[in-house]
Amino acid sequence: MSDAFFYIFATLTLASAILVVANRNAVNSAVFMIVSFLGMASLFVLLEAYFLAVIQVLVYAGAVIVLFLFIIMLLDVKGGDRQKFRPVTAIATLAAAALLFTGVGVLYQAPSLAVAPPADPGVGASLKDFGALLFTRYLLPMQVTGFLLLIAMIGVIVLSKRFDASKQGPTA
Amino acid sequence: MDYQSLANANTWSAIAPEIALGLLALGLLVLEIVLPRAHHRLIPRAALVGQLALLAGLLFTISRDAGFHGASFGGLLVHSGIGDAFRVFFLLTSTLVTWMGIGALERQTLPRVEFFHIVLVVTGAMMLLVQSHHFVMLFVALETVTVGFYILVSYFRSSTSLEAGLKYLILGALSSAMLTFGIVLLYGVAGNKALPGASANALGFDALHTFLTLNAGNTVAIIGMILVLCGVAFKVGAVPFQIWIPDVYQGASTPITAFLAVGSKAAGFGVLLNLVTQVFPVGDSVLRHGLVFVAGATILFGNLAALTQRNTKRLMGLSGVSHAGYLLLGVTAATYPAAKWASGAVVFYLFVYMAASMAVFGVLSHLAKTDDAGLETDEFVDLGKRSPLLGGVLAVGLGSLAGIPPLAGFIGKVLLFIAAFQAGLYGLLGVAIAGVILSIYYYFGWIKMALFEFTRVVPREPGALELEIRAMPLGGRVTLAVLGLATLVLGFFQGPVSQWLNFG
Repeated sequence: MSDAFFYIFATLTLASAILVVANRNAVNSAVFMIVSFLGMASLFVLLEAYFLAVIQVLVYAGAVIVLFLFIIMLLDVKGGDRQKFRPVTAIATLAAAALLFTGVGVLYQAPSLAVAPPADPGVGASLKDFGALLFTRYLLPMQVTGFLLLIAMIGVIVLSKRFDASKQGPTA
Repeated sequence: MDYQSLANANTWSAIAPEIALGLLALGLLVLEIVLPRAHHRLIPRAALVGQLALLAGLLFTISRDAGFHGASFGGLLVHSGIGDAFRVFFLLTSTLVTWMGIGALERQTLPRVEFFHIVLVVTGAMMLLVQSHHFVMLFVALETVTVGFYILVSYFRSSTSLEAGLKYLILGALSSAMLTFGIVLLYGVAGNKALPGASANALGFDALHTFLTLNAGNTVAIIGMILVLCGVAFKVGAVPFQIWIPDVYQGASTPITAFLAVGSKAAGFGVLLNLVTQVFPVGDSVLRHGLVFVAGATILFGNLAALTQRNTKRLMGLSGVSHAGYLLLGVTAATYPAAKWASGAVVFYLFVYMAASMAVFGVLSHLAKTDDAGLETDEFVDLGKRSPLLGGVLAVGLGSLAGIPPLAGFIGKVLLFIAAFQAGLYGLLGVAIAGVILSIYYYFGWIKMALFEFTRVVPREPGALELEIRAMPLGGRVTLAVLGLATLVLGFFQGPVSQWLNFG
């Protein structure tokens, strides 16, 4: 049963991924990307990685794609002509394909796959464990991330907002 | 799993200096809201005073040997003498950057408080970065530092500054990608249960070190280590990852150029020292040959590229590349058991480099024009006559960078070279000495221009190259004088400092 679902969602993910590249209209591409992400999220569900699936939908299919669409609308990107096919592209594609096949081949032959998976799925598998670890062992990195987001926010305001000098106090 | 015991491992008192910096940074933002607008100019000064107080507290704790040493936060951080030295280093750097920033921002119509806020947050993150003992902590701290610098580099919003920020953003993201890819490879291979020493917590440095020592020839592990080192090499600006340096250094405002040249570089070296002496078994592997090669190439490239530079900021950037090369020489030496003390020599050189560079950048920042794109060396004609203090401090700083006895830079270089000699890196030592000789040409060309009358060859139009020299407040003059004196004194008398930096 879950095998059938895997093939359905894998086909969905791959087909929409191809459409993202093949489509001439940038908005259509972005929308197909959502479909691709949703397919990937379903694959995560099949692997029982529910948290990853939720994040995939919320962050990628939600926030990131909205950002893409915003920029496409803002810049008013037109389809335009397809770029000419260059030999460099073919070489790069071949190299990438060779890498992929070598990787998959190595993976199938590796002795490590023969090792039985641990009976205990380990921490981090469920959302509760994940949250608990985040607030105990990794509390410090989480706090530092808070500062990271704070300066990122301040940076966006400082760099993009028009500065009104009249509202500033006297200099020195 | 007992979460309560995990939470108890979080020793917050161990990172008191970092917490204090974070609170100070937040306090600045609160002050901007609370204080009436007429008093806003007090906020940068509050940042300065806060950092000086923190520095005093830190030095007091270290002198009483009362600091927390050992692992904290369940092994995320490890505190040691070298970590304390780096804390003092970063705090000194940020204090000097704040001082320069106050002067530079007075000439601009820009938001002020946010600048100092970000400088403080970045400083705290750098402190955590050099003490991190776990890749999660390392990555989070490193990203905080890098994101802070993206903002600071483009803070002045001129076209050169924005261009520099964009270049730094793209290349910085590339280096982060390499670093992350390396970490993931290491995590993956060290979690492989078919291999000896595999660990479920392979992001921690201790477990990773055990694994890497047991699997010395593992290809994936070697690729992972190389990628991680490449990511760090980007931050210190080692060849072939130095391409961003000239443009970013020129585009950033002078205080931030100084922060990048001193603070960011030192943070990179702190991480590098940690990695090659404690985590990666460098042994006689491809890693060591790589380090030797990169150090030599960095020294040669930095000095050769700086030879023809006229723009002072680019000159400082490219000569900074060569200093990264000398430091890499020390880091490489520290991986040999015969020269373990080289880590102390690297930290000593960083302190010396800070005193000299900050003296030069302090003068540059004071003389900068409104666009702050860097002055040409020709514009320094007669500086020594018109302002003896600025000219003198500039000469002392440049002389120390060139490594002229009796200034501190000479001793710093000698220590690094002795370490390299003990480690048996004779070829690299030859390259480094050739580099020092090359560097004398461009440093002394600049000193000659600033101090000596007879160098003026072309009769120029009156006032064509005339620099406007603003009056300097007393605090600024004292700071510059102290930096110059520190360089002089450290050249003669290193006793207490070398004792403190003797990490064995």
